Amino acid sequence: MIKHLFKLIWNKKKQNFLLMSEMLVSFLVIFAVFTLLVYYYNNYKKPMGFAYKDVWVVNYDNELDTKNTDSLNTYYETLRQSLKSMPEIKELSFSSDNTPFSQNTNSGSVFIKNKEVGGVNMYTAEDTYKDVLHMQLLSGRWFNKADAVAKYKPIIINNELKETLFGQGEAVGKLVADYDKKKMRIIGVVQGIKVKGDYAPAGYALYSRTDTGSFRWLGKILINVAPNANAAFEGHLYKTLANFMPSSNIEIEHLTQKRKETNYFAVVPMIVLSIVAFFLVVNVALGLFGVLWYNINKRRGEIGLRRAIGASGQSVSTQLVSESLILATLSLIVGAFFAVQFPLLNVFDLSAGIYLTAIVLAVIFIYLLVLVCSLYPGKQASAILPAVALHEE
Amino acid sequence: MLKNYFKIAIAVLRRRKFFTFISLFGISFTLTILLVLTAFIDKVVGDSYPDAKRDRSLYVTNLQKTNNTGGMSSGALSFYFLDHFAGSLKTPVKVGISSRFSGTNTYVNNKKIAVNYKYTNAAYWDIMEYDFLEGKPYSKQQIDNAEKVAVISEDMKNEYFGDIPSVTGKFIEADNVKYRVIGVVKNVPITSYMTYSDIYLPYTVSKINYKSKGYQGGYIGVLLAASSADVPKMQQEYNQMIARLPLEDKQYTKQTSRAESYISAYVNTGDENKSGVTLVLTVIVVFVFIFMLLPTLNLVNINITRIMERSSEIGVRKAFGASSKTLVYQFIVENIILTLLGGLIGLILSFIVIQLINSENFIANLELSINFTVLGIGLLVCLIFGLISGVYPAWRMSKLNVVTALKAQ
Repeated sequence: MIKHLFKLIWNKKKQNFLLMSEMLVSFLVIFAVFTLLVYYYNNYKKPMGFAYKDVWVVNYDNELDTKNTDSLNTYYETLRQSLKSMPEIKELSFSSDNTPFSQNTNSGSVFIKNKEVGGVNMYTAEDTYKDVLHMQLLSGRWFNKADAVAKYKPIIINNELKETLFGQGEAVGKLVADYDKKKMRIIGVVQGIKVKGDYAPAGYALYSRTDTGSFRWLGKILINVAPNANAAFEGHLYKTLANFMPSSNIEIEHLTQKRKETNYFAVVPMIVLSIVAFFLVVNVALGLFGVLWYNINKRRGEIGLRRAIGASGQSVSTQLVSESLILATLSLIVGAFFAVQFPLLNVFDLSAGIYLTAIVLAVIFIYLLVLVCSLYPGKQASAILPAVALHEE
Repeated sequence: MLKNYFKIAIAVLRRRKFFTFISLFGISFTLTILLVLTAFIDKVVGDSYPDAKRDRSLYVTNLQKTNNTGGMSSGALSFYFLDHFAGSLKTPVKVGISSRFSGTNTYVNNKKIAVNYKYTNAAYWDIMEYDFLEGKPYSKQQIDNAEKVAVISEDMKNEYFGDIPSVTGKFIEADNVKYRVIGVVKNVPITSYMTYSDIYLPYTVSKINYKSKGYQGGYIGVLLAASSADVPKMQQEYNQMIARLPLEDKQYTKQTSRAESYISAYVNTGDENKSGVTLVLTVIVVFVFIFMLLPTLNLVNINITRIMERSSEIGVRKAFGASSKTLVYQFIVENIILTLLGGLIGLILSFIVIQLINSENFIANLELSINFTVLGIGLLVCLIFGLISGVYPAWRMSKLNVVTALKAQ
């Protein structure tokens, strides 16, 4: 049966070639769209890893003109005390510029036994950082005062980095090296936090503790405020900061708002792409439908003959539907060959699972599309009466 | 003859309404997407408000320092660099200097307003042609006196002062400083990031020390030549200046900076080794290619099917002596008519989509419009489209043997 269908397809290879290339290109487009959707969904279903509600970010410029580190530290400690005395402020932490949902990144490499792991986001945090963002500690501990005198620089990594470095093994207590081959001791592992919004992966993260000279370059304060903190309080906070740092530009942002903006930039391209893909699919579906329908009309004689020698209407329509499904299979094999190159060559740095899921989904989608487009023409063919069809001939 | 073809084409289109619908749907939808895309690109990179003198301007946005071990530092320039080095060039008649916009807040009646501000020099206002709804820009005199004056955007005016007729002379508080409003300008969309801001301030009131002698900072410059013919000369002079520039930092061995046209400055990646223009062009070309490949294949498919249907007509025409060339010609004309029809529908559809995008205000102040450039591009695309989808079926059809064509019936 199948052999016979192949022969029928081969006989009209020129026309089928075009149909197949259309299916092939549709498969590739659908594959691209599904890859993106699966990637976004995968990221979306992972936990956020921190609480962004009621967290504000203060941006300031560090322009204090002093060479003396002690007076610099005193200056910012005074600021910290006056902020903490406000009842609306629960906790605060100075931070490097790469706060959650900001455009800033600071990435580098970590070395373990001369193996380099690149693309690690480097954060500088204070002892209170974890409490401000309500991060989850998976093992070990967060920084404390005793870390200032540790022999090796203490660091905390997230579980994504831990899995790459140590797999399932224990990470706390292990030593890794930074770019200058200086050793650092891992003292804790935290749940990765999705700093680039709901639809982006947490990535690798490495937190190091602020030291005595850090205030020279820190430029952000993360503040966890009480739920009752309103715009009036924000105005008051703003005045306090601006009066304290007269030579600095101050901006206060809310993480909830920043998250919305970050997600917007991820979702809009996804929606636009989906709409475009949808119309492309409708376009292709109409085209396939038209061509199949026309082909059946052209084969009335053949179908009439088959009916006359005893084939049931059912078997005629099965034959036509299977023919188009075989066409689809042929183009899907070629398409899958191209698609499989993505995980094999590791294009775009996505995990193989995402590509494979996308391939499977795209294959199912194309089969469904072809099935739907050939069902009606198939049904029409089964309604052909042999007498009428053969009479025309 | 052409009139005859036209009649035949219309008759054929009406005979098979379903196929006509499919073809028109494919063409018009593809064109709609392309038109909206070009309208968007045209608006983002081609919008000449407020920098109308773009053809005789060069933009300096970046200075990159590199060394042999792969170290790199790249960023915008300092005021000192642009004023002292770029300002000393002979060819530019004016050098406009402005900071990249940055954000701050202000609080009015317990309401928070996010404010983007930008520092500029006086020449900036001479180069840029902002539409002043009221008032005027600050003068060099006012800048030298470090007067706390501000030019604000229309949006800022409405948000801060509400709907009142005139605001010049009133005070606006931003970043804990009170500025006197001396002008209100028409809004610039944020996509024109080199000229966008809510508040424009004299650089002398900047809280950050603008006298610092480092090369890198937060400023970008616009060099204006006397005429567009002087632009290459100006570019050459800038390059020579950069070549002579003493190394700022012993850590780095090479300094590069370019004065470039608006478009290449707009997509500057900040890395000399990665051309922004190439990157953007590649992305657009790949997208458009894949995007158009599918509808074209679809059209070719449908066209072949439809032409085979007319094999008897072809057979008769060939039997009566029509050459393959005439037949190809006829079918291409038919296709072009179909495509133009689809183009018309696409134009209407894109008009609706653009209205929708504008009313939704996806990006504040970005008013897309179908202009003549876009229309021209659309028609051109339309014709190419018609030819691509028409040539192959026509060629196949003209190969048809008279006997087979007639026998098929």
